[in-house]
Amino acid sequence: MKLNILEKVKNVAKSISEFDVNKLKEADYKKLAKDFVYGKPHGERRLGDLYLPKTGLYKHREWRGLKDTFYYFNMIWLYNYAHMVTDIMKYGGLPAFVRGLWRYRWMGQTYLPVMHWFDRGLEGLRGEALRASAWHYRAMTSETIRQFMRMFAADVSNGGSKELHDHTLAHDETVWGGIFYPWRNNFDDVPLQMIPYFVTCHVNNHTVLHYIDAVQSIGLPGDPCPMCQAEAGIFVDDDMPDYYPAFVTSNEACDGSVATSVLQDWMINKPLFAMPQPMQFDDPLVLEHCEREIEECWKFIEEQTGQPFNFELLKEYLEKQNKLQEFEWEKWDVAANTNYYPINGVAQALYRIYQSQDGYRDIWAETDKKVRKILNKVVEKKIDSFPLTRHRVIAWSCAPLYYSNWCTWAYNCWGLNCIINRDSLMFDMTIRTDTYENCLHDMAVYHEWAPMRRMAVGGMHHIFELWDYMERFHCDMVMMYDQLQCKGMQGVHGLFEDEFRARNIHAIWMPHALPDKRVVSRAEIRQIVNDYMTTVMHEEPLDPSLLDFDDGESW
Amino acid sequence: MRDLKHLIEFEDLLQQANNDLVKQARSEGKRALGYTCSFMPEVLLDLPGCFGVRLRAPGCVSPDMATYYMSGRTCHYGRSLMERALEGGFNFLDAQMATETCTVTCRFQEHLQRMDVIQNPDFFCEFCDVPFKKTENSLLHYKTQLQAHVLDKLKEKFGIDTSDEALIKAIEEHNEVCRLITEIGSYRKLDNPTITGYEFHVINLVTMVCPKYLILPALRETAEEMKTRKADPKPNWRIKVVLAGAENDMPEFTNLIESCGALVVADRHCYGSLPGREEIVIKEGETPLAAIARHYIEYSCCPRFMPQDVMRGRKQYIADLCKEYKADGLIVESNKFCEYWSYERTIDAVVLPRDFGIPTCSIEKEYVNSASGQLRTRFQAFVESVEIKKLQEGEGA
Repeated sequence: MKLNILEKVKNVAKSISEFDVNKLKEADYKKLAKDFVYGKPHGERRLGDLYLPKTGLYKHREWRGLKDTFYYFNMIWLYNYAHMVTDIMKYGGLPAFVRGLWRYRWMGQTYLPVMHWFDRGLEGLRGEALRASAWHYRAMTSETIRQFMRMFAADVSNGGSKELHDHTLAHDETVWGGIFYPWRNNFDDVPLQMIPYFVTCHVNNHTVLHYIDAVQSIGLPGDPCPMCQAEAGIFVDDDMPDYYPAFVTSNEACDGSVATSVLQDWMINKPLFAMPQPMQFDDPLVLEHCEREIEECWKFIEEQTGQPFNFELLKEYLEKQNKLQEFEWEKWDVAANTNYYPINGVAQALYRIYQSQDGYRDIWAETDKKVRKILNKVVEKKIDSFPLTRHRVIAWSCAPLYYSNWCTWAYNCWGLNCIINRDSLMFDMTIRTDTYENCLHDMAVYHEWAPMRRMAVGGMHHIFELWDYMERFHCDMVMMYDQLQCKGMQGVHGLFEDEFRARNIHAIWMPHALPDKRVVSRAEIRQIVNDYMTTVMHEEPLDPSLLDFDDGESW
Repeated sequence: MRDLKHLIEFEDLLQQANNDLVKQARSEGKRALGYTCSFMPEVLLDLPGCFGVRLRAPGCVSPDMATYYMSGRTCHYGRSLMERALEGGFNFLDAQMATETCTVTCRFQEHLQRMDVIQNPDFFCEFCDVPFKKTENSLLHYKTQLQAHVLDKLKEKFGIDTSDEALIKAIEEHNEVCRLITEIGSYRKLDNPTITGYEFHVINLVTMVCPKYLILPALRETAEEMKTRKADPKPNWRIKVVLAGAENDMPEFTNLIESCGALVVADRHCYGSLPGREEIVIKEGETPLAAIARHYIEYSCCPRFMPQDVMRGRKQYIADLCKEYKADGLIVESNKFCEYWSYERTIDAVVLPRDFGIPTCSIEKEYVNSASGQLRTRFQAFVESVEIKKLQEGEGA
């Protein structure tokens, strides 16, 4: 990874010996000055040249022009590093952080690479797109810190507080956090796998491989969904903080998730409430069943916490959550109907899935407030946030977690602008709070529309809503995620092929294995896109330096 | 042992889904209703005027067309069914009574809904939502689903009588099959069983894939024959095992195990009789449909069930079977790409030896793999290891 000192000295000597005075004379100083002030225009950037060979790490950060470079340094790099310290102090203090960092593999391996995660996702962005996307990243970082600090502070197996432990409920990351709103005044709810598995995949894609290996080491074959494998592996490896007295699981999203919950239970051995969602959720008859499951879950929580269900508190939080949803709709409207939408594909996807699954937190509202200002500005001033867009892309099915920033690369390299993705579209509703009955009804529907239930398993026709969304968001191309171990999506592969052909839609199948980059690497994914763009679309790359590079060892 | 009189006839009936008895029933005007999972109560499909056929795809070794639609990374069973459907092997079906109980069979059935696969103008495919728990709420939900998506549909589409009287009649017929199968299966509990696992597997399978009323005479005769059947004085098996696991409708697989010296004395798998062939009891004050719903939820040991006590209960059930059937070990199998059973098998392979002291052989298999040399080696090694263990225990005593 590092050039040794001798090599560096040789390189400097070589560059001095090759220095050509004529170049200085021939230089276009006006252009250089412009590039210095505004950054190089898209097409001249050669972002791939910034990488150290074989690592995907940067030799240096990108010069984005005076204003944006300083914004990036101050308001993204410095600001977030500072908050990564202050948030720790705010949410539990240094001792708890150090205990967790020392004890848990996923923590030790992912905290410091966080800013590289920002760099990957925000590469090439300028102006308002840079700012709006970065605020989304900032919010996710803050919420992540809050969650893991709660885990560590309440971790009784690692010096945490018993009182906090008894006031924290755990749940599968696929159980919507809103279920716990009626207890949010005295209790916190922290998903089991959101940080140890989901977030770590994005920040450092090496970390989770260990957990996949761990669960396979006890005999699990390699073909079940690797997300479920990794989640189970965390428990097999005893790498989960003991921060909760009881937990709630779900059957979401698939057979593998049910089975993982079962395996987890053998490892955890604590009071458990399984709150399955119906599979055939379009059937009006299932709703009543789902409502009763939610109520039974609330009873379970009452028993475990000793605190009664608080409908007023539930309403209060749901109303706040509804505000988040209303703003999301505004964002979708801008994304669908203008070229001004200032949030790039990866920021949109990750923020939305994180926020909608986690439930209301103040950080989401604060972020939305900042993003709203930017959104208003770009619309009023008609700022084209992604001016070199060649194709408006919709991403469908389950995304590769180790390469969620593919959309940043695809825009920089090919002008493929990922406008919206399937995960963002899942919880497309607000929840009524006027009566208990309406509230419960809507919560049940919301719960049923959980991640992947609506668009990977649980009714084939929902998966084919793709065509409607393409029209709604004015997309002309599909990035069809091909999660090789998702039985639900693999099971409809041929029908999608038939439909793409029949509708004459350009679709790129992107094979991947959610968190397991060993199955399909990032470089292979890029090659597939490159091949399609050259051989089928007959297009030239906007930035040829990004066509082929090896980031296999990168975080 | 002397051959069972009807065994060859039974074997013939398993060669294709549209077997002679299915053809006969259809020629008598009865509606053929396909299903794939034990969560679709077969008793409801055996109402007067129709009959249930649990779908199989015997001999399907290369599901090429289905692989185009469902990729090569899904369960071979689901793909084989799809292949057979595309080949026209299920055109005799009048309806598919579907459950979304595992993803790939669900996808197969959704293809039947979406594509014009089954060449039968009356054909329709109807889905039931099946609960993941065994609570009162689950029961109510299941019952509602069965009423709406099975009984009401059968009545609406084919004019089937779904009254309580008709249900009671179907339950009686179903219970007779269960009694006979249980009786035949009970000979596996003997120290030297008078029936092999293969024979039992064949007999149990025909009851799932043939109209009950047409298979009952041969079944009754077989039960009678079993009363006087003598075991070979010198057994040709070395150990006795319980076979647990996923979808397994190939008796050849059981035969493969037995050819390695392990007699299969209990069948706790998706197409097995334990559980599956217990009689349905209508409790006082209960409607027949409520009794059916309760029965199927109560007895099922499917790894879909998520509550803590149920998942622990499943291990205890296997341990109890080992004891009751005097098995020396357990073979637990799962089909490649079956997520439920991949996990369940892994847990079984950890928990049953550790907590119950049951030697366990954990196997991943394909849908059709009777000739697998690798599996043969695994089973032979397992038999030897159990024999050595028994020898060592004998020495210790």
